[in-house]
Amino acid sequence: MKAHIGMTVAALCALSIAIGAQEQDKKFVEARGSVKPVPLPPGGPAPRMSDGHVDLSGVWFSGPTGKANAWSVVPDAPLKEDPVPFRPEAAAKISSMSRTERELKSPGVTCQPVGTPGMWTINPYPHQIVMKPGLYVHLIESDNAWSVVHTDGRPHKKPEDLEPLYNGDQTAHWEGDTLVIDTISIDERTWINQSGWFHSDQAHVIERLRRPSKNYLEYQYTVEDPKVLTKPWTSTWRTYSLGSEDLTENFCTNNENVDQLEKLNQTERQK
Amino acid sequence: MRVTVGILVAMLLAVAPAWAHHSFAAEFDATKCSDITGILTKVAYENPHSYVWVDVKDASGKAVSNTFQLSSPSNLKRGGATYGVLNGSVGKEVLVRGCASRNGEANRYAASFIKLPDGAIQRVGQDVEGIFGTKIWR
Repeated sequence: MKAHIGMTVAALCALSIAIGAQEQDKKFVEARGSVKPVPLPPGGPAPRMSDGHVDLSGVWFSGPTGKANAWSVVPDAPLKEDPVPFRPEAAAKISSMSRTERELKSPGVTCQPVGTPGMWTINPYPHQIVMKPGLYVHLIESDNAWSVVHTDGRPHKKPEDLEPLYNGDQTAHWEGDTLVIDTISIDERTWINQSGWFHSDQAHVIERLRRPSKNYLEYQYTVEDPKVLTKPWTSTWRTYSLGSEDLTENFCTNNENVDQLEKLNQTERQK
Repeated sequence: MRVTVGILVAMLLAVAPAWAHHSFAAEFDATKCSDITGILTKVAYENPHSYVWVDVKDASGKAVSNTFQLSSPSNLKRGGATYGVLNGSVGKEVLVRGCASRNGEANRYAASFIKLPDGAIQRVGQDVEGIFGTKIWR
């Protein structure tokens, strides 16, 4: 096993050295649209609603700039998170898929609703949160999806009333200044994130949102899923920053990627 | 063996491109990129990806249509490649930096920039080659 890790680390080191050498030889192109990120200042304390709770309202972009960073020349560093404790059969199922097969099943390619927590984890575009006391409204650009959650800590629906939903059955409560959104009964067609992490009907997702200052929003999620994981897993906190743009329409209607990837998959299978 | 599978899955999670609609590398080859010059004939400003088509003359002088996949309208308009900028260039000569499709389909590429008729170099896609100075996480 140690040998495997050693070989992997050696391969990654060799790859980085090779990429470094290539980049030294490269002539860079100055282009309109490239973003050199400038982080926003904290901006003062987070605003509060009439009931005293923190108001999370705003248009939020991933990262610290308050703007789109898809073409940032300094992309976000890979997140430092604990490995997901997959049950062996779940890990085997994910790793048995080729990259092309994984893409073909990915919500980003199928244009299926991303659901919970996909509205945060499978969404490269900005979010809008609209709040009033007792209510959280989450709007995203990706396929113009939305969710509305009561924040009064009400219980989930009775088991006999639950149905599988992409966003699941959601309820929320405050823990201090952190909004905790609790979701069950999530449609098994959704993924937890883009990597192929599928889930079972037992998935329970706990999301936490906090606004440490006016210009910043932080998001964390925990997944419990005894059929897929050996123990619960919690992400690191992800940073979002306050933008001043409106969301734009983004309906996923003209998707050519499926046909293209199917063609590639057939080619690869013939090899 | 189980641990190795776990490590592989953990690596997949760690390097999955966080802010792309989907993986560029799954569909296109970042090592097969070239500059392609021709006449911009059509723009489809649509989700999940926009497309432009460029006619390039072959050795016999016949115009051959090339398809370029661009980013989404959300990314394009926030990066300055508005519908007006692209559609306003139809009928004019452009240079497109394109990386070839991995499935073997001829004349199909993903584009990273378009050099517009006024000479401006406009980002329209991911910096998979690192040509814009991006430190790429692979």
